[in-house]
Amino acid sequence: MGISKLRLHLFKRYCTVNKTRAFRIEVIQSHPKKYSLISKFYSMKIDQRSRYREPVFKFDLLKIVAVVTLALLCRPSFAITDEQPDKNPTHHQGEKLLTKASPPLPEKTVTGTVTDERGEGLPGVTIQIKGVPRGTTTEADGTFSITLSPEENVLILSFVGYLTEEIDVKNRVLVTVSLKPTDNSLNEIVVIGYGTQKRKDLTGSVASVSANVLRQPVNSFDKVLQGAVSGALVTSTSGQPGAGVSIKIRGASSIQGGTEPLFIIDGFPLYDANLSFINPSDIASIDVLKDASATAIYGSRGANGVVIVTTKKGREGKVMVNYEGSYGVESVRRKIPLVNAPEFARLRNEALFDRTPSGGPNQYLSEEEIARLGEGTNWQNEAFVTAPTHNHLLAVSGGNSKTRFHLSTGYFNQNGTIINTGFERFNLRLNLDTEITDRLKSGVNFTGNISSRQNAPSGTVSALLTMPPTATIYNADGSYTLRNPFENIISNPIASLHLETNEDKSLRALATAYAEYEVISGLRLRVSLGTDLSAGKQNSYQPSTVYQGSLVNGRASIDGDYSLSWLNENTLTYYKNLGSKHSINALVGFTQQVSSSESFSQGSTQFISDDLLYHGIGSGAVVTTPSSGYQGWGLMSYLSRVNYNYNDRYLLTGSIRFDGSSRFGRDKKWGAFPSAAFSWKISNEDFFGVDPSLISDLKLRASYGATGNQEIGLYQSLSTLGNDRYLIGDNIVIGYSPNRIANDLLGWEKTNQFDLGFDFSLLSNRIHVTADAYLKRTRDLLLNVEIPWTTGHSSSLQNFGSIENKGLEFGIQSRNLARKLTWNSEFNISFNRSKVLQINDFEEGFYLSGNYIVQVGKPLGSFYGTVTDGVLQAGEEETRGKLTGKTNPKPGDRVYKDIDGNDAFSNATDRTIIGTAQPDFIFGFQNHFTWKQFDLSVFLQGICGGHLLNGNKQTLEFLTGSQNASAIARDRWSPDNTDTEIPRASGDPSNFFSNRFVEDASYLRLRNITLGYTLPTPGNSPISSLRIYFTAQNLLTLTNYTGFDPDVSHRSNVSPGSDSGNYPVPRLVSGGVSLNF
Amino acid sequence: MRSNSFTYMKTYVKFLLAVIIPLSWSCADLYDTPKSELTGEQFYRNEADAIASVNSIYSVMFGTYAAAGVLFNRQLMMYEMATDDYTAGTRTRSAEVIDVSKLSHAPKNLAIDRAWQYSYNSINLANIAIEKIALIPEDRITPPVRARLINEAKFLRGWNYFNLVRWHGSVPLILWETTTLDRKTIQVEQAPEELIYEQIISDLKDAEQLPGPGEYSSLDIGRATAGAAKTLLAKVYLTQKNWTAAAQKSKEVIDSGWYALFEDFADVFKVETKNGKEHIFSSQHKGNIGFGGHRLAEVTAPVEGPFNGDNIDSPNYESDLYFSFADNDKRKNITFVTELRDPNTGILHKFSRYYFHKYWDPSTPYNQVQSSKNVPLLRYADVLLIYSEALNELGNQNEAYRYLDKVRGRAGIQHLQEAYPGLSQDQFRDSLFQERRKEFVLEYNRWFDLSRRGAAYYVNAVKAAGKQNAAPRHVRFPIPQRELDINSSLRQLPEWENY
Repeated sequence: MGISKLRLHLFKRYCTVNKTRAFRIEVIQSHPKKYSLISKFYSMKIDQRSRYREPVFKFDLLKIVAVVTLALLCRPSFAITDEQPDKNPTHHQGEKLLTKASPPLPEKTVTGTVTDERGEGLPGVTIQIKGVPRGTTTEADGTFSITLSPEENVLILSFVGYLTEEIDVKNRVLVTVSLKPTDNSLNEIVVIGYGTQKRKDLTGSVASVSANVLRQPVNSFDKVLQGAVSGALVTSTSGQPGAGVSIKIRGASSIQGGTEPLFIIDGFPLYDANLSFINPSDIASIDVLKDASATAIYGSRGANGVVIVTTKKGREGKVMVNYEGSYGVESVRRKIPLVNAPEFARLRNEALFDRTPSGGPNQYLSEEEIARLGEGTNWQNEAFVTAPTHNHLLAVSGGNSKTRFHLSTGYFNQNGTIINTGFERFNLRLNLDTEITDRLKSGVNFTGNISSRQNAPSGTVSALLTMPPTATIYNADGSYTLRNPFENIISNPIASLHLETNEDKSLRALATAYAEYEVISGLRLRVSLGTDLSAGKQNSYQPSTVYQGSLVNGRASIDGDYSLSWLNENTLTYYKNLGSKHSINALVGFTQQVSSSESFSQGSTQFISDDLLYHGIGSGAVVTTPSSGYQGWGLMSYLSRVNYNYNDRYLLTGSIRFDGSSRFGRDKKWGAFPSAAFSWKISNEDFFGVDPSLISDLKLRASYGATGNQEIGLYQSLSTLGNDRYLIGDNIVIGYSPNRIANDLLGWEKTNQFDLGFDFSLLSNRIHVTADAYLKRTRDLLLNVEIPWTTGHSSSLQNFGSIENKGLEFGIQSRNLARKLTWNSEFNISFNRSKVLQINDFEEGFYLSGNYIVQVGKPLGSFYGTVTDGVLQAGEEETRGKLTGKTNPKPGDRVYKDIDGNDAFSNATDRTIIGTAQPDFIFGFQNHFTWKQFDLSVFLQGICGGHLLNGNKQTLEFLTGSQNASAIARDRWSPDNTDTEIPRASGDPSNFFSNRFVEDASYLRLRNITLGYTLPTPGNSPISSLRIYFTAQNLLTLTNYTGFDPDVSHRSNVSPGSDSGNYPVPRLVSGGVSLNF
Repeated sequence: MRSNSFTYMKTYVKFLLAVIIPLSWSCADLYDTPKSELTGEQFYRNEADAIASVNSIYSVMFGTYAAAGVLFNRQLMMYEMATDDYTAGTRTRSAEVIDVSKLSHAPKNLAIDRAWQYSYNSINLANIAIEKIALIPEDRITPPVRARLINEAKFLRGWNYFNLVRWHGSVPLILWETTTLDRKTIQVEQAPEELIYEQIISDLKDAEQLPGPGEYSSLDIGRATAGAAKTLLAKVYLTQKNWTAAAQKSKEVIDSGWYALFEDFADVFKVETKNGKEHIFSSQHKGNIGFGGHRLAEVTAPVEGPFNGDNIDSPNYESDLYFSFADNDKRKNITFVTELRDPNTGILHKFSRYYFHKYWDPSTPYNQVQSSKNVPLLRYADVLLIYSEALNELGNQNEAYRYLDKVRGRAGIQHLQEAYPGLSQDQFRDSLFQERRKEFVLEYNRWFDLSRRGAAYYVNAVKAAGKQNAAPRHVRFPIPQRELDINSSLRQLPEWENY
């Protein structure tokens, strides 16, 4: 049915029902079953209109537009209406009743209506007879009818998103039940800094990760944030098992300081930590605080956003035992196509011939030798494997009215997609809450973890790509070869993977304990203590059988670290309703956190035997200089926040935090971070005439505030001394000299952020929309400012410069289908634009950092390089030859654009901005379906418009024949193949960074797809539920990016989006089971 | 009721105060100092600190603290590229070195940046030492050590300014530690050349109070001595063309009896004879003890055969230097090498051309960065030639011949007095410069010698060696562009303004 027809139909129906109120009632009463949602929807509206005594016509146009829009959005709901608009409803009802009435010996038929919290009929509600595997579901308008035998007296009503209810129908045949929502996102509790709030009462911008997104099979929970909420750009740092991600919330607002968000794990703040020590299965919720109103309570650590993680707690009731187990396999998305051995040999012949023409065209191998080569070694195939991963979790939780607990233990083992790499984790968690008296309660959250990682030796992926296919893995005697046979040294990566030890072991315990005392009604004092203890040891051994080790007869090193951070928080909260219209919620607190870490490093070389690995470090003949270090910091804070609510219409939040940090200069230890926010629930106003079932909630939010960033490393304000060495009297003597000039004025990076947001719900809360616009300006950047060398130093860390991020974010949650088949979706999309405003004294200031430029007016992460302009053809040596950058240009050399217009090419002056790592927009789209016992989640995620520096490509298009080349080398220029973009093979090593190596990294990815089936469990079974599922992570990726994977980056602010020898991100296919007792 | 609730309130307030006040008592120390690093306030408090602070100046000037090598551990060699005798070798990757070698360098050049940066870095350290060591309380440092350390710092500061004034002419003269980031204060303007020379002379005169070469304990061998200060002072006077003072000061060194020539030129560059009787001041090196490396030995080692040198600082094969050595000149085979026996295999490798050889250490044949040979920066032969030059300028050719011929005699070649008796003052000067050139290959003297004789001489000599870009402006190096950009008080040298 076309749009115009639908509109006409609706219009007609509208006119009909609108004639009189009496008519409407009649319609409802006489055709209770045949009226679809839409007509009912109108009826309700008229009803309310008349109650408000407002002229109906005022809203006609709005209604029609809205209804058409909604009809288009929710077409399946309307389909029934549209298909059979004129059928005789009475007849139909009769038919149905007849069929229901047919079972033999029916004792009783119960009919009824199930409604939602607004009194509207709920379709698709499961109605089960208690103790019997038989039931029905409600119709489109929420009505149902079921026949029961005499002993069947209790019905169980359940529906996704609503609390399950049991009703006794012993003496009833007609029931009306109103189900209460469970996860109505407006009533959902959101964890904010130092407290919680109902979503509908939020004044700031806070996004929550939905339960379905949270369930993804990941080894570190921060990965679930990818695409999960608007405003957070999450990129993988490495595919190495156990590696984390980089998160930028609303853009990077620092150039040289930290830009990762602050994580709060059960109240304990962690910055830039390796988060894989938390078992993702233990997490109950993740909330992301984005605007200044939400984050200013974290003061000097709030500027990059705050991610609050809450772990699972026990519930009152029967003890639940939950086992979850899964097994999966991981593999790389693709391998990079490279030339094979004969192709490589010819390439090398050409390059050598180009370098030394006198040597003839076959300086490497003769044609006969080439013919005998075969395919050669495919180094990628030797290293990349399908790797198993398995995960087990056993959780016990429960409690009584006083004490609740959640105890879980997990084991996770992930092999890497590169041989002999992996990650293993054991962990234990205990969350315990107890009420000591009516007024005093106390609790503890503890997690302990042991993990170990075997890392790929550095340079492995590059070596896998650049090792020539003519090189072999093994010598004739079966031992590993050491290195490639050519000019530039590449050590045998397969030997390194098999023989080297590169392990990273760690122990970590994070514990928080609290006591909360209700001093007087509404006034609570909470004191908490937390510790984060970690100890790590990194062992490495390069035996004499790998190239690097062979140079020194084995190299062993042991590094260790020990760190302890403790936290004390003391808060007083006061909640009070002042009369019927005012309520106030106030918080004051004092917190302090102190952290210290110690590290050491020790190594030796020259071993007699490789057998002891790093264990025999003392048997190395040559000891390398040991080192040790200490880093400590402290933070002391006073915080305060007031929430004021007037008549559930106007909400005001004001907060201020004073932070004192050891990281800053003597005169700038303390900073104040205020914020204010206002939100207006327009839909609660009397004048808001829109029907609540059309627009049920409309809230406007505005906030402004200041936050800080203190992530600059430690002791940067002090003139610390570095030590250096010299030889006096034939002995090493130590010298001490200042590393920098003290800067007593070194202070915070100050971010001021303005946020304007709307939240609204449509169609009886079926659709929730959150939209935010923000403008974030950071000034007094912590920047290494160049100072004259005559001072004895090159630069000093100062508060200088500014940067801006602004953007739009939208989040939409909708209940698309709520029948037998339910379908809920969540969609978010965010646009962020960043721009450097000032970095030095010059108006058009810039500085270069490798292949990147930081320039005023441009975003961070701008690629700066040359622009290719095809390949030089014969006869062009004197003309375009000047633009090859070569003194003696030859046909087949790459030509570059003459950007400065001086008719000559120079890599110094003919560079320009050739892309940015900043995406245009990012989005995530989660869909969750249930049908009968099946559930299906489909999570799509994507990044659009960002670029990546494909460093592997640059290396592999370096056609010198001293290392392997990309398969595109087959199309290289030769006198017989002149129509090409690929230069000739050449011995001349000039391969400038150009736009050729900057690729569009947009992608659309099926981040996760999960299909689950919950087995029906017999009533007398000890198993209360059993679900089996199949899940796949990163199964499909649509992208034009030619590297391993477009999801690659590293944490740098200035040079993000660089893919050079990174361990590729894998995809995972796994199956699992979840069992509850 | 009212009074009841009031009592309650009072109780609660008391309770709150009782809880909150102790909790607010802070444990976090915001003025924490790093435990694994020292800060300035914890330092310069006793003799050991004072020694360490002076050691750091040596480290920056002669040690290995930067990957590219610091001032006298190769950085000055990049400036020697701007002469007739050296060129960027086949393995040179740095455009800035190639540019200096081709004399196509501009004020924006990394080699020039580095030399300037490290010079001022060590000047700052010397300023700190001079200032802070004077403040150490009497009971924490013995007076002679205090005086010696301050004078060592002055010697090193003077040397740096001597380099800077020869490279750039007028430069900022900074004699205090920079402790502020205030823009006006750190943007220092240039001082006139004369003033800089005054300061250099004053520093070196103070440094003349340093212990003589025999007065140090064996643990302090390698530190600046009175002899080093006097020799450097003689060089300063010579550069200033203050011939009388140069003659007087060099004669003072000769008469001191502290030094003598080695009989064998080879001993100047042997590990066993390090810090010997001819050595007045050397940069100290020792391989395989975890102490950085010998950049100059590394970058000049032969590339051929198994020796795998890093041929970055190469002889200029268009220069007549190699061929100007007489065959019987004992210096020739010490300075250059055309074949080399691998000490490990005993195989003799003949090279396709000649390479530098002064710092090649046979104990570490394939890895010359571990060479244990010192680089003589001031030695007695220099003193003899300074005296000879000054005498010639003062018109005393007879005596000038005598001192020059001590150097030629040791080299085993015919005395100039016998070969060319009765040279005019100008002719003698040319012969003397030729002698300096051959005697001090790879000892950082050539550029200073060429430039102090003036633009015409410089251009002529460098062009003769095939470097046609040579121009009068090349007797100075430009002020680094980076410094001009961020210090508005600084002015480029007029002759370099448009490059």
